[in-house]
Amino acid sequence: MLEKFTSHLENWNKVWFGFIFLGSVFNAISKEFSFLSVIPNITMWSFALGIFIGLIAKYRGKWLWG
Amino acid sequence: MVVGIKQDIPSEFSFEKEKTIAKSFSNRFQWEMVLIGIGQACIWLSVWPLVFNQIIPLWIGFIVATLCSCMAYLPSHEAQHGNYSRGKPERRWIDSLVGHFTLITLMYPYEVLRVTHMKHHAYTNDSEKDPDFGTSNPKSLWEVTLRVLDGSSLDYGKYLEVYADDNAFVDAMNRGTIVYLLYRSILLSLVIFFPFEALFLWWLPSKIGIVYTTIFFSWYPHQGTTLGRYKDTRFWRHWMPRYINHSMQLHVIHHLHPSIGHYSEPKAVEALKPFLIARGVPGAEQIPDRVSYNPLVKF
Repeated sequence: MLEKFTSHLENWNKVWFGFIFLGSVFNAISKEFSFLSVIPNITMWSFALGIFIGLIAKYRGKWLWG
Repeated sequence: MVVGIKQDIPSEFSFEKEKTIAKSFSNRFQWEMVLIGIGQACIWLSVWPLVFNQIIPLWIGFIVATLCSCMAYLPSHEAQHGNYSRGKPERRWIDSLVGHFTLITLMYPYEVLRVTHMKHHAYTNDSEKDPDFGTSNPKSLWEVTLRVLDGSSLDYGKYLEVYADDNAFVDAMNRGTIVYLLYRSILLSLVIFFPFEALFLWWLPSKIGIVYTTIFFSWYPHQGTTLGRYKDTRFWRHWMPRYINHSMQLHVIHHLHPSIGHYSEPKAVEALKPFLIARGVPGAEQIPDRVSYNPLVKF
């Protein structure tokens, strides 16, 4: 069980980080700006953006472009 | 015979004499480093209630947290070398306490840093065995910064394979992984409820601290160096006074004699300068006669 968990984290840690960390930050930012907070389902889009960035980082093997 | 020691230098600069001089700088208890390590972590912890209670604004908290993270590595580094306990078993708890606690701001596990750093000393600049090779050998400041930020400088999986037969190394890495997961769990829990605080008081400061530490501890001292005890680290000078980059211009003496305490390094370099020149240490000819209270600035 522990091995499966460790293996999952090794493979998907960037996606989880994107989803939870980046998604939470994007969500918080969106609530600070009225032109963003009026967008329907902005919370969902914030976390979706976080997952998307995490997936790109997982595919590339690293976070930044370069 | 010690590996990497030239045999054709004058006897007045023998390794035995060098070691005797170095040992004289290796006895002092480094209370300043304990104070800095524990102090910056305590200051960082106190920033959180100050920000939450709006006693200080978040941007001031960010600046303080970043300064703390830039001060975090060196006290842990002394602990990694056992320089607080100095071989006394009854004092090893100081190494552990400072080593672990000071790294809270960097969000980094002490055990991982300790064992990889020991391998770095044993195999400095070895492309296969030196865990710091990815950060000490990029060709530019921009490249090393990018590697640290995008996570490609860390390849602990590779070194777990390289040192698979070293049980102590593997065990320490596994213990460190648990601490790493704990840090991550706390961060990801915090960010859900306090996103801006998690970002500006912990994650971003730790990133800046790691970039700063890597540039000055790993990259600058090993730029353009090769393999070998007296060739793998250099003396260097910079436009920045050494007080702002933890005197890493003197890192060469640490690689030669890791037991020399950080604040004893200037005097140790002054005393060992003739030895370093005789051994052909890169940059040794640039060492001034007075290193103590010398910012070592060069434009």
